[in-house]
Amino acid sequence: MDCRELDNLLYAYLDGELVDDERVAVEGHLAGCDACRAATDREHSTLLLIRSRAKAGGARAPDALRERLSQKLGDELKVRRVRAIGRLAAAAAGLAVCTVVAHSSWRSHQRRLYVEDAVNRHARSFPLEIEKPSPEQLEAWFDGKLDHRVAVPRFQNVVTQGGRLLNVRDRQAAYIRYDDRGRRLGLFVYSDKPGDVDVTEPEVDRSNGFNTVTWRDGDVVYTLVTDLDDDDIRQMLPQHRIPEDAVPAHAPTVQPAAFSH
Amino acid sequence: MLGLKSNTQMKAEFEQLAMPCLDGLYASALRLTHSDRDAEDLVQDAFMRAYRFFDKFERGTNFRAWLFKILTNTFINKYRRQVKERSFSEGSERESVTAQLFSADATETAANPEDHLLDRLLSEEVLSAIDHLPIDFRMVVILADLQEFSYREIAEILDVPVGTVMSRLFRGRKLLQKHLQSYANAQPNQAIDLNEYRNRKKLG
Repeated sequence: MDCRELDNLLYAYLDGELVDDERVAVEGHLAGCDACRAATDREHSTLLLIRSRAKAGGARAPDALRERLSQKLGDELKVRRVRAIGRLAAAAAGLAVCTVVAHSSWRSHQRRLYVEDAVNRHARSFPLEIEKPSPEQLEAWFDGKLDHRVAVPRFQNVVTQGGRLLNVRDRQAAYIRYDDRGRRLGLFVYSDKPGDVDVTEPEVDRSNGFNTVTWRDGDVVYTLVTDLDDDDIRQMLPQHRIPEDAVPAHAPTVQPAAFSH
Repeated sequence: MLGLKSNTQMKAEFEQLAMPCLDGLYASALRLTHSDRDAEDLVQDAFMRAYRFFDKFERGTNFRAWLFKILTNTFINKYRRQVKERSFSEGSERESVTAQLFSADATETAANPEDHLLDRLLSEEVLSAIDHLPIDFRMVVILADLQEFSYREIAEILDVPVGTVMSRLFRGRKLLQKHLQSYANAQPNQAIDLNEYRNRKKLG
């Protein structure tokens, strides 16, 4: 290192910015060069002097400024709080919407589960506990056996073949079998106080080749399992008008149930 | 609820970090703006800007350097335009002083044993000399000598390479010494005269 190179690195050296190799090189040169050593000492004391003078004269922030800043931070916080509440409210509203949507989709999922179970149980042709009753006899037979009253629906040209107790999933249900000119229909009547089953207007679902119609009467849900097609169902349920759009347009034609007589 | 709590915590955290920096910010702002009123406005602007962007501050990194970066940026963006007319004269001054700096004359002055004249300089004179530095040199000198930031921190604050920091600091300090030397030479006081007298006596 020569005097000129040292001059370039002098401040970096005095500011403690030089890394090992460079620092060693500078100190090596200083040890052998009186002129540079003197110049370095002079620069060092000048630097210290300027720094101490500048700092001694440095003004403190006025108290008024300090107070104003505290005030402004407080104001800003209030604004942010209001914004946060707004965001929170928006989030809550969003959550409520999500909850409603999630709950309704959960309920419609639940209906499908009940419908599927009803279809499977209907298809297994469980033996009836009471055979060839009139609807009134059937109602009397169910009376007291279930927590809910069972009103046996009357359908045109359809006779009650019999009934029994048969669960739909976790619900105790009245199972009513009808006969429509040789075609077997099954109706499950079960209580749904919690409102898990998403149905108000009659809903038509399809499951395992059966058509089902589910409707609600207060806390009581009715699921009719049938191999009738949509038109027959509509004709059969004149008291429950099934909206046209309740049946998917792309739905396949109903297959005759394997278990029908 | 989460939002409310974190805002309060954030304010407390910010105040805890920023308030101790206030004196340094103000002292620097004063050197940048040359006016109490502008300095207060600049500090306030930078301070509130920092608070608003506090969530962008990377925790664990150098908060003071981050705050000064905001201060210098705010100054450059907002205040520099206002002071431009004033710095215009500084620009031409800068040329001539720089020219002098690299002349043989300047080197002689720097090597002059009468350097101890600087000992008699007052704080106000040193600050005034800093105030008269061209803005680029002034910022580096303020950050290095008033705020004692490292070269790397200054490079980050001003968004320039470390090499630029070093060259600006070199020229800035040399210019500063030159100004101070002229102050000292222009206003020799009693003490200096006495001192010189004694020296001469010794030599004689």
